[in-house]
Amino acid sequence: MSSGRGRSWSIAWRLTSLYVLLSAILLVVAALFLYWLLQSNLRHQDNSTVAEEIHVLRVILRQRPDNPTILRQEVRWEGGSSEAPPIYERVLNRAGIVLLQTQGMKRIAPVSVFPSPIGVRQRPPHTAERRTLANGQIYRLMSAWAALGSGTRRERLLQVALDVTHSEGVISMYRNALALVVLVGVLASVGASLFVVRKGMTPLADITNAARKISVTQLHERLRPYRFPVELHSLAEAFNEMLDRLEESFTRLSQFSADLAHELRTPINNLMGEGEVALARPRTPAEYHQVLESSLEEYSRLSRMIDSLLFLARAENQAAPIDLAVLDLRQETEAVREFHEAVAEEQQVRIVCEGAGQVRADPILLRRALSNLLSNALRYTPPGGCIEMVSSASTAGSDVLVRDSGCGIAAEHLPRLFDRFYRVDKTRSERSEGAGLGLSIVRSIMALHGGAVTIESTPGTGTVVRLHFPA
Amino acid sequence: MKLLVVEDETKTSAYLRKGLSEHGFVVDVAADGRRGFDLAVSGAYDAIILDIMLPGLDGWAILRDLRAQGKQTPVIVLTARDAVQDRVAGLSLGADDYLVKPFAFSELLARLHSILRRGPARQPQRLSVGDLEVDLLQHRATRAGRRLDLTAKEFLLLLTLMRREGEVLSRTLIAEQVWDMNFDSDTNVVDVAVRRLRRKVDDPFPDKLIHTVRGIGYVLRPR
Repeated sequence: MSSGRGRSWSIAWRLTSLYVLLSAILLVVAALFLYWLLQSNLRHQDNSTVAEEIHVLRVILRQRPDNPTILRQEVRWEGGSSEAPPIYERVLNRAGIVLLQTQGMKRIAPVSVFPSPIGVRQRPPHTAERRTLANGQIYRLMSAWAALGSGTRRERLLQVALDVTHSEGVISMYRNALALVVLVGVLASVGASLFVVRKGMTPLADITNAARKISVTQLHERLRPYRFPVELHSLAEAFNEMLDRLEESFTRLSQFSADLAHELRTPINNLMGEGEVALARPRTPAEYHQVLESSLEEYSRLSRMIDSLLFLARAENQAAPIDLAVLDLRQETEAVREFHEAVAEEQQVRIVCEGAGQVRADPILLRRALSNLLSNALRYTPPGGCIEMVSSASTAGSDVLVRDSGCGIAAEHLPRLFDRFYRVDKTRSERSEGAGLGLSIVRSIMALHGGAVTIESTPGTGTVVRLHFPA
Repeated sequence: MKLLVVEDETKTSAYLRKGLSEHGFVVDVAADGRRGFDLAVSGAYDAIILDIMLPGLDGWAILRDLRAQGKQTPVIVLTARDAVQDRVAGLSLGADDYLVKPFAFSELLARLHSILRRGPARQPQRLSVGDLEVDLLQHRATRAGRRLDLTAKEFLLLLTLMRREGEVLSRTLIAEQVWDMNFDSDTNVVDVAVRRLRRKVDDPFPDKLIHTVRGIGYVLRPR
């Protein structure tokens, strides 16, 4: 549950922010495009009206320089129309004297507000100057020189003002409307994404709740992967597998505790009982002696058990350093065979060492493992039987087989055979030799070496245990 | 032989004092580290048995200070912690041996003897206990003039018991000395081997030499 601070952002918030950011960008881009479209359309219309008027006036002045009536009509008419946006026009001579102007123009657009005129041969520009005039209305202003008749040097100054208040108003209203749409849209997308994300995340909450319900007392409970969306199947399955492993370890652990308590109970019970009985009445020294001897035997059993358990615990934590050396397998198997020779002869069991090879192993631990296997094999091999210890080595590693011609072990016991205190024959467990830790120790020793122990058995034919050491 | 036992657990120190005294040692006991160190420095001890977990000054500190002062008294360290690092630390600090609780008293005794015996040990060519004789050069054992037919390991087992005549040897020690099996095992291998040896050494003769000390081990001594 401890991850980097940077990663602890909630997924919901991350998704929501991303969604909101995305929709905001989309909305703003769309709004900007629409605004630009409307604005450039309207302004283009206004600007071309102004330019067209200049053009018309220039044409009139050039072609009919002597007929002021047409010009007067044009100027008056434009200003007089009440429906179209008012357009004001003025004609001045070189000296700056007003020759003609639309009625009311002097008050609204005096001569001085116009920008510098364009030359007589210049075409009117696409954009006229925009200005707010004294009456508070917005105008497009343009002034231009115009030739009076053709081929003469006489010129007139034209001034045209178009009231664009209405279209500018439309543009700004449209801008405000779009801004509002963007704002509302973004706010709505915050709400919508929160809702959608929350909704989308509910399976996670479900799986969390389901996981939370599983406690130590209900370790057998499992998530049902098909209840969750496909994306969570593998999570649920992985979680279930983890539970399987946990449950198994847990079961083993509690089984181990129970077994341990049981194993301890027997010797301690004997000790207490013998002590109490001995003290109940006066005894001869010989009797006391016997009690003490018997106690010592129990104590040694306990002490060995503690040693073995400590060894196992250390090996499990990988806390036991091993002292690797290159050993001759045949020499080691022979040494272990000699150790057990006396017992084997008593039981009329033959031990045979075969094969050869080298192994990198801890000398004490290797002998301990082999000795445990051999004493196990001896325990289950009837008189006249034979135990083989076969050594071999290759590039894949070194192997020792311990093969007996004993009674064999039923398949159902094989998986648990290496568990601590596990005994195949429950009835003969109590006083039989060995605390039931021998094979666990073998497994731990092999684990410490990075190797493995495997067992195969055919009831009635015998058992083969293989120790494999990696190369 | 004078021994110092530094041990705060009273039951432990009491049985150590009793057991060691009965084996001919003169024993002083210190119940805390400070007093243990003072005694170790001032007294002339042949060996010190030192517990690690002590009030006052712990065993490691005592050992270190002792060696720093140039005292080379042999030290056997006792501890309840079976950590290998501890063992390494102990030996590098100058401990001569190391025992993990719970340990067998006979084990302590054996280690004590071997520490005190250390030095140029003369290897005799012949050993004899009563009418039992062993010739190491010729590798043969005879009893009452009769040759005993022993296997190599049986010979070694007999030799081990004879060399420590009168000393009770634990099964673990015997397995170590005779078969080089340096681990505790639950097997009855040693018992079976001793039984077979007895069959050859003791059964044909009225006087028994090899005795079982129940719960502890075996001893060879004339009765």
